[in-house]
Amino acid sequence: MDAPLLKIENLRTYFYSQSKQAFIRSVDGVNLEIARGETLGVVGESGSGKSITALSTMGLISAGPGVISGTIAFQTNGVQKNLLQGLENYVKLTEQDGKVMHVSKNVVGWEKHSDRIMHKIRGKEIAMIFQNPKASMNPFTTVGKQITEAIRLHTKTKDPLEAEDRAAYWLKQVKIDSPRLRLTNYPYGLSGGMCQRAMIAMALACEPSLLIADEPTTGLDATIQSKIVDLLVELKGELGTTTMLISHDISVISRLSDSVAVMYGGTVVECGPARDILATAFESKHPYTTALLTSIPSEQNIKEKGYLQAIEGDVLDTINIPLGCRFYSRCNRVTDAIRKKCESHEPDLREISPGHRVRCWLYFE
Amino acid sequence: MAKTILEVVDLKKHFTARKTLLSAFKEQERSIPAVDGVSFYLKENETVGLVGESGCGKTTIGRTILRLEKPTAGKILFDGKDVTAMPSEELRKLRSEMQMIFQDLDAALNPKMRIRDILREAIKVHHDITDEEIDGRIGELLEQVNLKRSKLSNFPHELSGGEKRRVGIARVLSVGARFIIADEPTSALDVSIQAQVVNLLRDLQKHLGLSYLFISHDLRVVELISHKVAVMYLGKVVEMGLAGRIATAPRHPYTHILWSSLVGKQSKEASSAVRNVQSGIWGVFDFERAYAGCRFAPRCPVYESKEYPRVCTDPASEPQLRDVGDGHQVACHFPL
Repeated sequence: MDAPLLKIENLRTYFYSQSKQAFIRSVDGVNLEIARGETLGVVGESGSGKSITALSTMGLISAGPGVISGTIAFQTNGVQKNLLQGLENYVKLTEQDGKVMHVSKNVVGWEKHSDRIMHKIRGKEIAMIFQNPKASMNPFTTVGKQITEAIRLHTKTKDPLEAEDRAAYWLKQVKIDSPRLRLTNYPYGLSGGMCQRAMIAMALACEPSLLIADEPTTGLDATIQSKIVDLLVELKGELGTTTMLISHDISVISRLSDSVAVMYGGTVVECGPARDILATAFESKHPYTTALLTSIPSEQNIKEKGYLQAIEGDVLDTINIPLGCRFYSRCNRVTDAIRKKCESHEPDLREISPGHRVRCWLYFE
Repeated sequence: MAKTILEVVDLKKHFTARKTLLSAFKEQERSIPAVDGVSFYLKENETVGLVGESGCGKTTIGRTILRLEKPTAGKILFDGKDVTAMPSEELRKLRSEMQMIFQDLDAALNPKMRIRDILREAIKVHHDITDEEIDGRIGELLEQVNLKRSKLSNFPHELSGGEKRRVGIARVLSVGARFIIADEPTSALDVSIQAQVVNLLRDLQKHLGLSYLFISHDLRVVELISHKVAVMYLGKVVEMGLAGRIATAPRHPYTHILWSSLVGKQSKEASSAVRNVQSGIWGVFDFERAYAGCRFAPRCPVYESKEYPRVCTDPASEPQLRDVGDGHQVACHFPL
């Protein structure tokens, strides 16, 4: 079997909060793997670290107090490359009595180093579709200019006119009508759905080997949402681009993904084949996944006008992470036999069936 | 038979575009018919869901009912009293009975006030009671919305989305509202928190006998919580009826498309069939686009498959809501 295209190992992305004198542990030990041609869906509530994982992969964590550790191994031209190589040299922690007192970071050096690693990869090998299409386009230049710029920068097409042809081609691919005309439009002249299509065109125009789609349908109307999902399904069939799809909407994930990773409080609590994880009938999975699936109004629910199965409590606060299982305080499947363990030890992500791993004490002694 | 608490008759709200130097030269003022002749009624202890794409006028209806916007034409009857032309003094008294849960959590709560003061202020405006009584009332409210007492001294930014939503609901209840307009109360919340809020709203309805006008674009939640559903398109209600029927047996092509476009409902095999219904360019609607007759015709699959019948685009025959049995109303020349 081939080595996975992207392999994230023990990724930790922390932000130091000066006012709280503590680390916000947005991503805390994430392991993910994406094989070539596969679509990995990442689900989880807001604040579970989905987007930060993506941004870390893109090398876009540049904010002053951000600290990343772990390895992100990415295959490029047959060579495996760690995207985080040597970044830790630019951060210095001052500790006192085991507590971090101060974080000093050479921001300029960090960014330079990060750019050195990423400049051949970002946009060219890994492209990203951002959450808010309107905000991630430059409002002052036309859509066409923005796409041609990306094409000329990242592909062999250097001729402006040829690049424009490519841009029009890609706009057509994402089913924007009269693409030639749209090239001269400014982002504000496009509707939300069209803007998202243009974003997808821009990301795909450089023919990346990995596409990261961060909440591609959030904030769009139901009708437009299903259109965008249809488009992504179609493109997946045509191009077979390896995709990391981030969404909180399980229905979107279930239509597109081959495998799924469920995130909670900065870690992956469950990962495996989509059909196992997303099937309500499939019993052995993480209590959080079960709860997540049942909190969506189902047909059954609606028919009986019954109450929704809410998960009590609130999303985990990633500053004070509990000692034991992160989901313990909201979990409804804690049994007396494992209660002690849940409270004091965090379970590992262990395989319970081939390819299906769960981070829960329920499944092993 | 439950009493009718709210009746809206042929409500219209047209916004006129701001005058600029350029438009001053043009003869006609440009007006945008955000709400264009909407009628419905709401009974006590009942929930009416209002759905439609963004920009179809859902929120404007809510705001106009509360007279946060002045209606252009039409009548709003609350408890039999005409709100449309009520003087502001009387209106304020009535506002203690009709309230709105706003969509934007962060904009609705004053960032510089503690939660306690936010609730206290709301109670004080409408009720003349002492501070101790207010504190007692706040305690009751917290219990009703299931919020911890310790949160009272926090500022809004210290609360999570679900908690902020609860504060919004508590504030609405604090003045003693019986009729609540909930404007997208679950958007911007995570699914697990969304379920909590939906359950809370239903509990409150059961215990306090509230009536809701539930505005949302989340069709599943609307179907779950509402007794009746009104589907809006371009400022008009195109279909109205019992929630279950609207969802399972829609008669208007727009409603059909809306419900079948739920991402989850499209299993991988069924999606091609759905796509057939949705054929045609599914653009976004536009208030400024000229139309004649049926507003939905330019996007309508039925209009297309019937080879563009004239009646659909005849300006003289805009389809009106008519009964197709059991109180199910549709505005379409060719109901499905």
